[in-house]
Amino acid sequence: MNLDKKIEVFKKSLMKGTKQKGYQRVLQGLKNTATIAVLGLLIGIVIGTLIAIVKVIPKRGWISKTLDKIVTVYVAFFRGTPMVVQLLLSYYVLFPLLGIKMSSLAVSIVVFGLNSGAYVSEIMRSGLLSVDPGQMEAGRALGLGYGMTMWKIIVPQAVKNILPTLGNEFITLIKETSVVSFVGAVDLYSVFNYIGSSNYEFMVPYLCMAIIYIVLVLIISGLVKLMERSLRASDKR
Amino acid sequence: MISVKNIYKNFGDLRVLKGVSCEIEKGEKIVIIGPSGSGKSTFLRCMNLLEEPTYGEVWVDDDLVTPVDPYLHFDVIRASRTYAEKMLAARQANPEKSEEALDSEIIWEIKEKDLLKKHEGGAYNALIKQIERENSLNINLARQRIGMVFQQFNLFNNLTILDNITLAPMKLKGLSKAQAADKAYALLERIGLKDKAAAFPQQLSGGQKQRVAIIRALAMDPEIMLFDEPTSALDPEMVGEVLDVMKELADSGMTMVLVTHEMGFAREVGTRLLFMDDGQIVEEQPPKEFFANPKTARAQDFLSKVL
Ligand SMILES: Nc1ncnc2c1ncn2[C@@H]1O[C@H](COP(=O)(O)OP(=O)(O)O)[C@@H](O)[C@H]1O
Ligand SMILES: [Mg+2]
Repeated sequence: MNLDKKIEVFKKSLMKGTKQKGYQRVLQGLKNTATIAVLGLLIGIVIGTLIAIVKVIPKRGWISKTLDKIVTVYVAFFRGTPMVVQLLLSYYVLFPLLGIKMSSLAVSIVVFGLNSGAYVSEIMRSGLLSVDPGQMEAGRALGLGYGMTMWKIIVPQAVKNILPTLGNEFITLIKETSVVSFVGAVDLYSVFNYIGSSNYEFMVPYLCMAIIYIVLVLIISGLVKLMERSLRASDKR
Repeated sequence: MISVKNIYKNFGDLRVLKGVSCEIEKGEKIVIIGPSGSGKSTFLRCMNLLEEPTYGEVWVDDDLVTPVDPYLHFDVIRASRTYAEKMLAARQANPEKSEEALDSEIIWEIKEKDLLKKHEGGAYNALIKQIERENSLNINLARQRIGMVFQQFNLFNNLTILDNITLAPMKLKGLSKAQAADKAYALLERIGLKDKAAAFPQQLSGGQKQRVAIIRALAMDPEIMLFDEPTSALDPEMVGEVLDVMKELADSGMTMVLVTHEMGFAREVGTRLLFMDDGQIVEEQPPKEFFANPKTARAQDFLSKVL
């Protein structure tokens, strides 16, 4: 088959289909990929914030020490194992054991959220730690409490470091969604794989898939750059 | 104003303060000098508990801001089980000695050997609790009365100069935004920086930042001001403008504790000078006498290097 013919076959299969046309499948896959990445990041931000709080506050009582141990194990697990492993363990082992019935898409979102939480917590922690300790000392020396100083002084400065890095985490999540087909969720990769295998012709669908991923990532990193620049501009003021 | 009682500070194995005491009276201008690494900053930072002393107590007026240090209270030592047991044994062993002699020997031994860490009885614990209940003050409240100025200025980078000054009075003293701003403008006027109210710290020179840092502390109406080498991070041409503000403050009657290398300023403004070396106060004199006539060899050696 020459290239023209291959493109012809691909185009045809985009319009083919009984329940769902090929292009509708692609859109579905795109939507799922975006859903998993966006919701995963949102859940990740919530979990990551909680973990970062546990990690950053001074440890005095046994409660804060115990919490610290728990989140340390959590972070070590999610950073120390591949996403596929976490996905397979959750879908085939953990959730059935707990008696939770969820669609593969829902499981994917949850696992991406849990995984992202571990990474986001590190992003937030280092963002907070990168703020000059003198800022906290100055607040405390005036008599402001720890929480108040955090909220009014440290967090606003940390956000400038955190936001661009969160953008990068989002890009990572988008790319990693390609593993959710392991548990049967429909994403960008799985729809193009489906089209390819139904025609025994993979070249054009896979190229197409790669282009869509690249475009997505370029758009997001463009937005991150814009954000970085406006944050830096507000620094110079 | 502030009294520091026999404080020790260890950072891990590093012993930085080795029993430092100091009573600061209202209106005093205390200057602390000494070689780098001798513990001057740590001492100053213990006064407002930015560093927590390992042993010893810090009192702000009649309020205790550190935990009780049992070794500083004889009645606490006497209430301990350790003391009772030792006393019993000592009475039997030395029936001829007086109670007072035994008492002071045992107290000395308990202090020296740090014997109070072990399990102690209810009387002892109750006494500690009582001292704390009667005297202890939340550190945030104490800090509102103690202003501090840092070597690195530490202005809040995310806030304008005005907000830097008004934040604490609004949050802690219940001032309205307008009241706090009025006060801030008056203070800015005093240092000639009224036109910088809307600027951010990054737009100010070092000298300007430090002057703002001083009035940020003053906006809380502190009773005492602590300065940790306020001019050491400045270009030489900016040192004068900051010292001028401090001089004015001193003349207005503010109680001040100042760690500095500005010997001329120390001599001019200081009412008492503490020379620190190796975690201890080695010499204590009025500055003029100290510079003219240092008593200890260590102080003489130090002065010969810096003057
Ligand atoms: N937070 C800290 N952790 C560990 N060591 C410290 C800390 N702060 C000060 N030190 C050490 O304590 C010693 C005294 O420091 P410092 O009080 O800053 O001295 P000075 O102000 O007289 O130069 C130094 O050896 C310093 O390295
Ligand atoms: Mg110092």
